[in-house]
Amino acid sequence: MSEINLELNSIVMRFGGNQAVDHVSFSVVEPQLIGMIGPNGAGKTTLTNVMSGMLKPTNGTIYLNGRRIDGHPPYDVVRAGLGRTFQITRALGRMTVMENMLVPGLAIRPRARQADIEARAHEILDLLTIDHLTNELSRALSGGQRKLLELGRLLMLDPAVIILDEPFAGVHPRLQETIYSYIHRVHEDGKAIILISHNMGAVFELSQRLIVLNNGALIADGEPQAVKSDPAVIEAYLGEDE
Amino acid sequence: MGLLLRIEEAVDAGIGRRRLGYALLALIVVYFLWFPNDTTQSNYAKTVFISGFFYAIMSSSWALLAGIAGQFSFGHMAFMGIGAYVAGLAARDGFAFLTPESVSSVGAIFIGTLVAGLVGLVIGWLLLRLRSAYLALFTIAFSELFRIVMLTEYDYTGGSNGLSLRPLLQIADVDTARQVEYYLMFALLIVCLLALYWVANSPVGLFLRAMREDEDAASALGVNVVRYKILVFVFTSMIVGLAGGIFYSDIGSERIIPEQLEILQMSLIIAYAVIGGMESLIGAAAGAFIARYLLEATREVVITLPFGLTMADGADAFVWEPGAWRYALFGLVMVLTLRFMRNGLLYPIITWFSGRDIVMKETVAKRESDEDHAARLEAGDE
Ligand SMILES: Nc1ncnc2c1ncn2[C@@H]1O[C@H](COP(=O)(O)OP(=O)(O)OP(=O)(O)O)[C@@H](O)[C@H]1O
Ligand SMILES: [Mg+2]
Repeated sequence: MSEINLELNSIVMRFGGNQAVDHVSFSVVEPQLIGMIGPNGAGKTTLTNVMSGMLKPTNGTIYLNGRRIDGHPPYDVVRAGLGRTFQITRALGRMTVMENMLVPGLAIRPRARQADIEARAHEILDLLTIDHLTNELSRALSGGQRKLLELGRLLMLDPAVIILDEPFAGVHPRLQETIYSYIHRVHEDGKAIILISHNMGAVFELSQRLIVLNNGALIADGEPQAVKSDPAVIEAYLGEDE
Repeated sequence: MGLLLRIEEAVDAGIGRRRLGYALLALIVVYFLWFPNDTTQSNYAKTVFISGFFYAIMSSSWALLAGIAGQFSFGHMAFMGIGAYVAGLAARDGFAFLTPESVSSVGAIFIGTLVAGLVGLVIGWLLLRLRSAYLALFTIAFSELFRIVMLTEYDYTGGSNGLSLRPLLQIADVDTARQVEYYLMFALLIVCLLALYWVANSPVGLFLRAMREDEDAASALGVNVVRYKILVFVFTSMIVGLAGGIFYSDIGSERIIPEQLEILQMSLIIAYAVIGGMESLIGAAAGAFIARYLLEATREVVITLPFGLTMADGADAFVWEPGAWRYALFGLVMVLTLRFMRNGLLYPIITWFSGRDIVMKETVAKRESDEDHAARLEAGDE
């Protein structure tokens, strides 16, 4: 089990006058499965972008296992041990499924033998039920298969903390089950997972801890059952169709 | 069609496509090695080939930069020019602490190559945050700036008359000289292609393609996009800087002129690569060579009339000097290529020999929708 100590201190992300993330602080110190919810536009993706290094926060600091990672480019953050998927999948379209897997594999372990990395890739693709598509260009994959590929690529990085931004969105229910078992499996491997989803059923079933964002601010953080009955959370979701 | 299929089957059952491809490639190399010994060929024909090799280097290295790494740069000719001009200046006026006498032709070319690489480093760094159209605009501006400086600083550069480099070879006999020049340029092309392929087939090549597909995604997957973007600019700039230094050291041409650095010339490099296949290094090289050859061969089109027919003026042949129309025709070919064969005219041939089209056919058969995939999983669960 890898060491985990992620710490966000008062993260602020402003776009012009729009405060998309508003003084968010929390920490992750064990391989928990954490659900992150909040209405549309609450700032979940923006916070993910800040944590993964795609955005430099206007204010605040982030430490991962003692290393400061805020404002560092994504390829450094990934090496520090934090990886993420994209809400809108970003397959490397004109590269094959295997090449999509090799890119992170070789980027992180340049000295490893390519055959070993390929073997690992096959294991992961098999787990995700897309091993038969190894030589397919990733742009030819179906929507759900692309989501699966993105989850697979992420594992090649072997990060200690992974953020999944809407992994179930638009995916066939049967493939969602595959993603479920993936999440269980990865969690059992001792990784911390932050699961962002509008699928409340999945979030409540999977999460050991729940973080709620609203208008960029963290309004609740704790046991799912306690958070569910928190008046501030009920207030935030009032009028939502959930 | 039936015959072609039969041939395909025979090849697959026998020697195999890949090996046949390599065999053909070896034959082509042998032909080029033999060519200067063909006594029926003039020195002029050798000159055309030498320039073909030079442009093959230009287009194939641009293919790595633009086709594989996705950096659609218009600065490629300028980097070539930097290599040539710096080599010329180093040999004539000396360089930093070196006196002109102490700089040999080879030394001058070496300095030119290094400077091209250094400028590539700076430009690569400046381009880090620029994408697509902005990158193209920036490199056009850089290229024009360089050309205009070369044109206006005539005290140093000779202005529009150009700059002579110190000749690389001292061979009195013209025929021998041409022969050696030919082999030198051909060897340079082979070395450059090997270097380009080595990079393209290494993990670096994989990272460059990932950056081309989606720079942010590549970065999130651990690819140091800053390092590789700069690296590809330095590498390709040094290749064309070297090629420029050698070509203009009286190998293919005895002086570098600013006209060579015009956007039109750069566009031709791009056109050769596009026609041959931007994402294939050998395709781009072949495209450039063939295009140069055809442009040369069509300076004057002579069609001997059959059946004893004569033209109005009594001549027995139709003679047409297309002049600049060749380029217009050529532009048309490029437009049609882009419209109907995005991967270049040579792409089908290259994929066939590599056997990639077999893999593609197999995988297309495996394509499925989310529903099909789910149904297959359901069936497997029982
Ligand atoms: N690059 C940007 N520039 C300006 N505003 C932005 C940018 N990215 C996000 N925002 C704004 O930040 C706010 C938070 O958006 P974000 O995408 O993080 O929400 P979210 O919680 O992920 O929503 P959803 O559930 O719909 O995915 C929104 O008001 C959005 O318009
Ligand atoms: Mg979002």
